[in-house]
Amino acid sequence: MKPRVLSLRARIAGMLGLLFLVGTLALLFAAQAYGRLAADKSYDRLLAGSALSIAETLSVDRGQLQVDLPYAALEMLSAAPDDRVFYRVIGPGPSTITGYDDLPGWQLPSGRDRRIALDEARFFDADYRGEPVRFAVLGREIAEPGMQGWVWVQVGHTRRARDELARELVLGAVAPITLMTLLAISVVMWGIARALRPLQRVGEDLTGRQPEDLQPVVEPVPLEIAPLIDAINGFMRRLAGNIEALRAFIGEAAHQMRTPLASLYAQAHVAADEDPEGLRRSIAAIERNAARLSRLLDQLLIDATVMHRSDVRAFEPCDLLDLVHEAINEGVPHARRRDVVISTELDQAPFVGDALMLGEALKNLIDNALKYGSTVDGSVLVSIRAEEGGYVVTVADRGPGIPESRQAKVFERFVRGDGVGSPGAGLGLAIVRRAIASHGGEVVLANREGGGLEVTLRLPWRAEGVES
Amino acid sequence: MSRVAWLLIVSAAGWFSLTAVAETYPAASVGARQLTIYSTTDTAVFEAAVRHFQRLNPGIAVQYEELESHVLYERFLEDLKHGKPRADLLLSSAMDLQVKLVNDGYAATHLSANARMLPEWARWRDQAFGFTFEPAVMVFNVNAFSGRTLPRTRSELIELVRRDPAAWRGRIGTYDIAGSSVGYLLASQDARQSSEFSALLETLGDAGVVIERRTSDLLARLEKGNLAIGYNLLGSYAQSRIAAGAPLAIVYPRDYTLVVTRTAVLPASAPNPDAAHRFLEYLVSIEGQRTLANEGGLPAIRNEASVQQTRGGITNAVVGPLRPVVLGPGLLVYLDQLKKRRFMNLWNGAIEPPK
Repeated sequence: MKPRVLSLRARIAGMLGLLFLVGTLALLFAAQAYGRLAADKSYDRLLAGSALSIAETLSVDRGQLQVDLPYAALEMLSAAPDDRVFYRVIGPGPSTITGYDDLPGWQLPSGRDRRIALDEARFFDADYRGEPVRFAVLGREIAEPGMQGWVWVQVGHTRRARDELARELVLGAVAPITLMTLLAISVVMWGIARALRPLQRVGEDLTGRQPEDLQPVVEPVPLEIAPLIDAINGFMRRLAGNIEALRAFIGEAAHQMRTPLASLYAQAHVAADEDPEGLRRSIAAIERNAARLSRLLDQLLIDATVMHRSDVRAFEPCDLLDLVHEAINEGVPHARRRDVVISTELDQAPFVGDALMLGEALKNLIDNALKYGSTVDGSVLVSIRAEEGGYVVTVADRGPGIPESRQAKVFERFVRGDGVGSPGAGLGLAIVRRAIASHGGEVVLANREGGGLEVTLRLPWRAEGVES
Repeated sequence: MSRVAWLLIVSAAGWFSLTAVAETYPAASVGARQLTIYSTTDTAVFEAAVRHFQRLNPGIAVQYEELESHVLYERFLEDLKHGKPRADLLLSSAMDLQVKLVNDGYAATHLSANARMLPEWARWRDQAFGFTFEPAVMVFNVNAFSGRTLPRTRSELIELVRRDPAAWRGRIGTYDIAGSSVGYLLASQDARQSSEFSALLETLGDAGVVIERRTSDLLARLEKGNLAIGYNLLGSYAQSRIAAGAPLAIVYPRDYTLVVTRTAVLPASAPNPDAAHRFLEYLVSIEGQRTLANEGGLPAIRNEASVQQTRGGITNAVVGPLRPVVLGPGLLVYLDQLKKRRFMNLWNGAIEPPK
């Protein structure tokens, strides 16, 4: 538990750190672009205002272009107190009317929108006298007698204040976010430690328990961990149920064995005082009881084996038809073999499964059919056919059948059909169902028309992913 | 280009009357460095400061060249154009021309705690530094005003002259703005600040105002009684004369008083920048400020100098608002070729009416 917690924390810290780094870098670039944009935007307005105030003084006097540079035009630029200021007025034509005549030029817009575009201030950056300078250019069309054409007002200032403002904006954006992120990481780390504390408590609770204590965990846990705790509690509940069932089974099995043993004991006791005739009867009774006990023990063993193998699921290729034959050969006494009829159109029935389990299931079914179904008509019909999705194996007899109300019940352990009287431990159908279920199949009981029981096994081709 | 042409004409006109005074102060030690200063301030005013500086920095010989402000500007650029920069430091009362040098990228940056102590309007970009505090005042010959109250504002001055134009005819003096850069700076600031500028100009013109290029000439004529009223003169020189017993009175105009400052610019092309930085630092230091005030009569811009004439002292003594001329790009406006031509036309039209 401990190293897992540590790695979780380290992983989150690493991921957050990476995110933080990438985020901060991205933010830095974005903030720089934004800062420059914002700074340019605000100072461009100033430049445009300055250019406009100059443009407004343009006049033509006796064929001469006049400019009365307003004091405010340059002084307003001292909002950027440490920046050098340049200006000029050009036109009409290429000559500078006043101002710095060697300022860098600019590209005139071309095309249809020229006139419209020219009326608004446009901005560009250029190096002038050893410093980067931002310029605004404003055009005015002059149409006076003796003077026609475009006059241009160009105003520029160095970028110191802009860069300073941009820097401030960047710092203003990045610094608090960096701080916030660091704060967030530490809060997250603290939160993780806090969130994992209930898990630690649950661990301590489980570690400290007695082996038989399967009470549900009641520690309060966060919503996200609740499913885990629910699963643990569910698992413990099932475990408790299983242990309970196992205890009941052991009790029941012991009880089942006790009856024939008690009879054996009583008959042996009685036999001691019997005459030869009575003695023979007693010995026959003892033999019956011993056989019954032996059968019970066999079934218990098979039950345990099937239970084990259904857990293990050692599935291998086998042939269902062979298994049916083997079941008949091994499970049916010679004398009664002709009572069992196999009906199939298949030459072979390849299947992937546990041959031993399937064999035991078939043996049990055929045995049951012979035992309970032979009272009226001795024949037992075993059929096997392939359907879409798998094999269908039926074992049918002409016995008394099982009333529908009891059909569900007979699959439970130690429950026998109504036609009692014959020896049986009541484990047969339970074994069948477990064996088939572990192959993903199902067992269906049905009473036949004209009397008798038909047990249908459906075995799907693939037995994967099925609960045992 | 027309600006240069204009300046050339002006400087050519002034060339003959101009005597470029150059004083050499050899260094105390041998193998000394040479510091060349172009300055508009009278050599006599600056001498004490230079000698004091040399006592503090014995290894520096000082060449002090006194020039008129536009000549100073032109000569600096000429030197540069010929690839022979000589000036290590430019000290000029023409704040606008100094600002232009800085704006055009000729200045080196000087960073110091002393420079930071200057008021904000008196420094720009850490490249232009105003190191004196000089109100532009009205100076009167008290004898000419016996029994009459002195005008305190520009309107009072206008009213006084208009009431009796004949009495004041030829008795008012001010700077010749074509020949004096400080005069041009002050007149243009008046044009900008005062709503009465055109009335004032008209009045001065009607009264046949006498114009001179130099403050000392104007003050000499005021002292002698040739002139009764001097308008927009630098108060520091007048103050020295009054201290020497001249019958003069100084009035700080109550509507507003312009304040200019002598401005130091350290050229990026200075052949001896180290010495220049030292001298500039001396000018804005408390010792330098004190020496300039006490020995040269130039009011200290730093109050810490604790001399008789400081910024704070004058500010407290003056009734009306003080309007310091701000070192900055605004000063470029009246240097604009068209603007200057327009303003000169306006001035000449009023002062020298066509006969």
